[in-house]
Amino acid sequence: MPDDKNADFSDVEGGGSSTAPPAGRTYTVVKGDSLSKIAKQFYGNASQWKRIYEANKDVIKNPDLIYPGQTFKIPEG
Amino acid sequence: MTRLRRTAWAAGLGVATIGTVSCKKKEAPPPPAESTAPAPAPAATPFAVQSIELGKSIGSDKKVPSPSTTFGRHDTIYVSVATDGAAPSKTIAAKWTFQSGQTVKEQSQTIAPTGPAATEFHISKGGPWPAGKYKVEILVDGSSAGTKDFEIK
Repeated sequence: MPDDKNADFSDVEGGGSSTAPPAGRTYTVVKGDSLSKIAKQFYGNASQWKRIYEANKDVIKNPDLIYPGQTFKIPEG
Repeated sequence: MTRLRRTAWAAGLGVATIGTVSCKKKEAPPPPAESTAPAPAPAATPFAVQSIELGKSIGSDKKVPSPSTTFGRHDTIYVSVATDGAAPSKTIAAKWTFQSGQTVKEQSQTIAPTGPAATEFHISKGGPWPAGKYKVEILVDGSSAGTKDFEIK
C-alpha cells in the first residue's frame, strides 16, 4: 500500500561520483536545504559550509537564508 | 686602335656575361616533399547518454553490478549513467520524484568527459522510505536524457 503522497523527504541524503574528471561542481538548492547540509553532502562535514558560502557570495546574501532553485558552485573537496 | 679594340671586346664580354646571368634559365621548382602530415583525426564522438541503470550497490567503475527496479524501505538507491563522447563541460543531473511528482532529491555533477564514462548518484534516507512508486529523471545540461521508474516496497 503506497504511503501518503505528501511524504517527508527532508532527511534524504545523497551524493555522487564519476569516472570522468570533474569540470567544477554545482548544486541546485531544494526545499529543506541549508549550507551545512550541502557541505555534509559534498564534504562529509557540515562545518565546511563556509567554503560554499565564500564561493557563492555573489548569490548568497545571508548564509542562513538560501532558497530552492538557487545554484551554487561547489569548490573541490 | 688596338687599345680601342680591346676595350670594345672587353665591353662586349661584359654584356655577354650580364646577358648570360640575366637569361639564366629558371630552375624547375623542387618536387613536393612526400606528405608527412598525419592523417586527420577521426571526428570526436558527440556526448550522449548510453544507458541508465538503478541498483542497490555501485562498483568502483561507477556501474551497477545488479540492476534492479524494486527496493526495500531502508535501501540506498543508486543510479548509474553511462555516457560516451568528449566534452569540456557537461552537467548531469538526477531528479528523484515520488508518486505523482513530489521532489525527493535533486543532484548534479559537472564533468569533463574524454570518452566513455559512468556517473553515479545515490540517495538514502534517515528513516524508512515511504512505500510507493518513484522515478529518477536524468538531465544533461537541463535537457531530459531519460527516466527510470522504480518501486519501494
